[in-house]
This record gives sequence, structure tokens and C-alpha cells, in this order.
Amino acid sequence: MKQELPVIIGLAFGLFIVIAMFVGGVPALTTGKNYVDDWFLVVSAWAIAVGVVNLTQIHGRRVQQRREGYQYSLWLMICMFGMAFFGILVAKSADHEGWKFMYNNLIAPMNATVYSTLVFYIGAAAYRAFRVRNVEAAVLLVAAVVMMLGRVPLGTVLLGDWIGDTAEWILNVPNSAGMRGIQIGATLGGIATALRILVGIERAHLGGTGD
Amino acid sequence: MTIAQGQIFSFIAELIYCIGVLTMISRARKGIKIPELYQVPGLDALDEAIGRCTEMGRPVHFSPGIAGVDEAQTLAGLSILSYVARQCAKYDTDIIATNRRTVVYPIAEEIVKQAFVQEGKIANFKVENVRFISEDQFAYATGVTGIMYREKPAANLLLGAFWAESLIFAEVGATAGAIQIAGTANTHQIPFFVAACDYCLIGEELYAASAYLTREPILMGSLVVQDWGKMFAAVCIVLGVLLQTASVSVLKDIMGK
Repeated sequence: MKQELPVIIGLAFGLFIVIAMFVGGVPALTTGKNYVDDWFLVVSAWAIAVGVVNLTQIHGRRVQQRREGYQYSLWLMICMFGMAFFGILVAKSADHEGWKFMYNNLIAPMNATVYSTLVFYIGAAAYRAFRVRNVEAAVLLVAAVVMMLGRVPLGTVLLGDWIGDTAEWILNVPNSAGMRGIQIGATLGGIATALRILVGIERAHLGGTGD
Repeated sequence: MTIAQGQIFSFIAELIYCIGVLTMISRARKGIKIPELYQVPGLDALDEAIGRCTEMGRPVHFSPGIAGVDEAQTLAGLSILSYVARQCAKYDTDIIATNRRTVVYPIAEEIVKQAFVQEGKIANFKVENVRFISEDQFAYATGVTGIMYREKPAANLLLGAFWAESLIFAEVGATAGAIQIAGTANTHQIPFFVAACDYCLIGEELYAASAYLTREPILMGSLVVQDWGKMFAAVCIVLGVLLQTASVSVLKDIMGK
């Protein structure tokens, strides 16, 4: 019963959402779907508490036992609880100036910093991927060089318009064809997975491998 | 009550597809032979990756992606987590499962715990090894980066829906010297995984993983219909190209309904 009940609930709500997606002209279905969407948001919001408990357990233990780098764990908890208490007790709204200041001057720049490190990771990954070890890697290298030169003004200035046209062709024809092939396969796979989960055949996500 | 405009073809196609999947599952249940699956090197390498961790005495890192439970890729990733956790339990290897979504985290924890229970090794289950990092995408990426550098897992398994953080994970894993198996259906991230990981599950292979790993005929039955669906799509593409070239829009009109 521990696994049957979630499967029954999943099937009922899953079918309801699918029907609401396809069937038009029934306001009750749209209203019901909106309710279910709201419930999902409420459940997600409550789940935050579970996450906070997990973080506190892990990092609290690290601080308590003075493990290596425990200062970072302490700083994490100060920031997490500090931000939460400030938001709940002082700001009470996302429009609060202090709250906006912290978001715009702390969180946003830190996110941008991590995002910008991607350029170095791309460089390192490209170096490994473009080493010519076989025919496939050689094709990848040539395509990448044409793409890079074709997408910057310098490439056109040095080599002429053909490089830009070739880059555009690679992007729109072989690349798009490959991507769409993968997308078709992935969509069919996604539907089959959803169906297996809805009818309760695949239940590994409920804990255990089903046996 | 009518089918919404523009959804009729999609509704009928999905209905036929679902009936096909259920029919094949029913045939498998009756014991009728199901065609063999082709080899997926990335999935075959899972045991090798776990074995490497066991030999080196280092943990496995597993990420089910950064999407929520409303994403089929996450559920596919969690199914693989179930298998990986069970193998880890069997060989007394630590598994660190990191999560971005608070909704996914308790599910992942229960999956890992159940895997250790099923192997009769609940005493080896470490609750602190299933971790919620952050709901923020790049904070999660930073957290995983730290874990990779500090705890040096010998295998980095990235199976689920990934976005911009995919290359950060894969490159950090490579730097940490981990064997890397990644899989996603997000086409824009596949090139990064192909470039930076040892094995990559491309698109549908991620969804086929649980059937492939468990070899359960009932699960494998649905994969056959996936291939039929692809063949149907290929026929539609060829037919569509020919008809459109001849200025006949019958197929386009039918699909647009």
C-alpha cells in the first residue's frame, strides 16, 4: 500500500492534467488545473523547510565537530538564516529597499560571477574535444573553426563572405537536423516514461527498484 | 467539450502511441518475446564507474539534474539513482547525491535509503550524503564544485535535466579525475557533455536507462514502441518534404489541426 497510494494519486492527477491540456471549452477543467498548479507551488514552498533542515544538519555538524573548512559552513548558516529572518521579520516584501539591495548587490553579482567562469570551462573543454585523434574529432574541429570564424567580423574580413555563409549553413542544416532528430527521440522517450510512471509500471522513483 | 484547436493531431498521435506502449507492455506481461535492446555504452559503464570507486575507496557523485519532479528527465535520473545506490550499497561504496530542488531532495533520500535497506546494509546509509545544496542554479553549481574538489569522487554521474551548469560540473569532474557519465535530453547541453565526459547518454537513452538496467521485459516493451514512433516520424519527415516540394500541403494541414 505504501507504493500503491502514490501511484493511484499520480495516475488520477496525471490523467486530469493531460485531459485539461487537450480538452477545451470546459471551464471546470481549467479551474481545476489552476488549483493543482497552485497546490504544487504550495508543496514546493513547504519543501524548502526540508532543505533548510538538511543544510542545517550537515553544516551544523561540521561546525560542531570543527571539521576542516568549518568556517565556510558557519558563514553559510549565518547568510541563510540572516537572509531568511531579514526577509520574514523586517522586509516582509520583495519590494523592500534593504531586501532589493541584498539581492541586487550580493546574489546577482555572485550568480553573474559563477556564470562568467563558464568561458574558462568552455576553453578547457574545447581544447580536449578538438584534439584530432580520429576522423570524428577532425570533423568536429573543422566545423568548430568554421563556426567561430564565421560568427565574428574578423573571419569575414580575413576570408570573405563564404565563411559566414558556411557557418550559417552548418548551424541551420546539419546541426538543426541532428538536434531535431534527438528531440523527436527524446520526446517519444519522455512520453513513454511519463506513461510508465502514470500507470505505475516504473516506480523506482518511489524508492527501491520495484522488486 | 472539444479537443483544443491545433491539438487534434497531437492528441490522436499521442493516444495511438500510448495504446502501442500499453499493448507492448501487456504482451511482455504475457511472456511474449520482446526484441533485444542495442548496447548503450554509457549505461554499461555505470558498473565500471562504481567498481572504480570501490577499488579507490572514493565516493560516487550523482546529480539528478536541476529540474523539479514535474520534468520527466528528473524522474528518469531518479530511476538510475535507484540502481546506482543499490550497486553502491552492495559494494560498500559511498554515494553522494546532490540536489537542487527541495522537492527532489526527500525523494532522492528515500531512494538511496531504500537501496541500502534492500541490500540489507542500512547501517552503511549516511543521511548526510544525500544533500540539498541550493534552489539557486549557480549556488548549486558552486556547491557541487566544492564537493568535487574536497571529497574527490572517483565517478561523476550527471543524469537528468541540465542547463548552463552542465559544463561546470563536467569540467570540474574531469579536473578531479573522476570517470564521468552524463545524460540529458536538453539538446543544447549535449555537446558540452559529449566534449567533457567519458560517456554521454543522448536524449532518449536517458529515458531508456531504467528498462536497460533492470532488463525487466515489461519496461523494455515500451522501448520498442519508441522505435516505432521514431520510424513513423522519419516517414512523416520524408513524406512531408516530398509533398511540400510538390506544393501539396495535405500532410501539413492534417498535422496543423
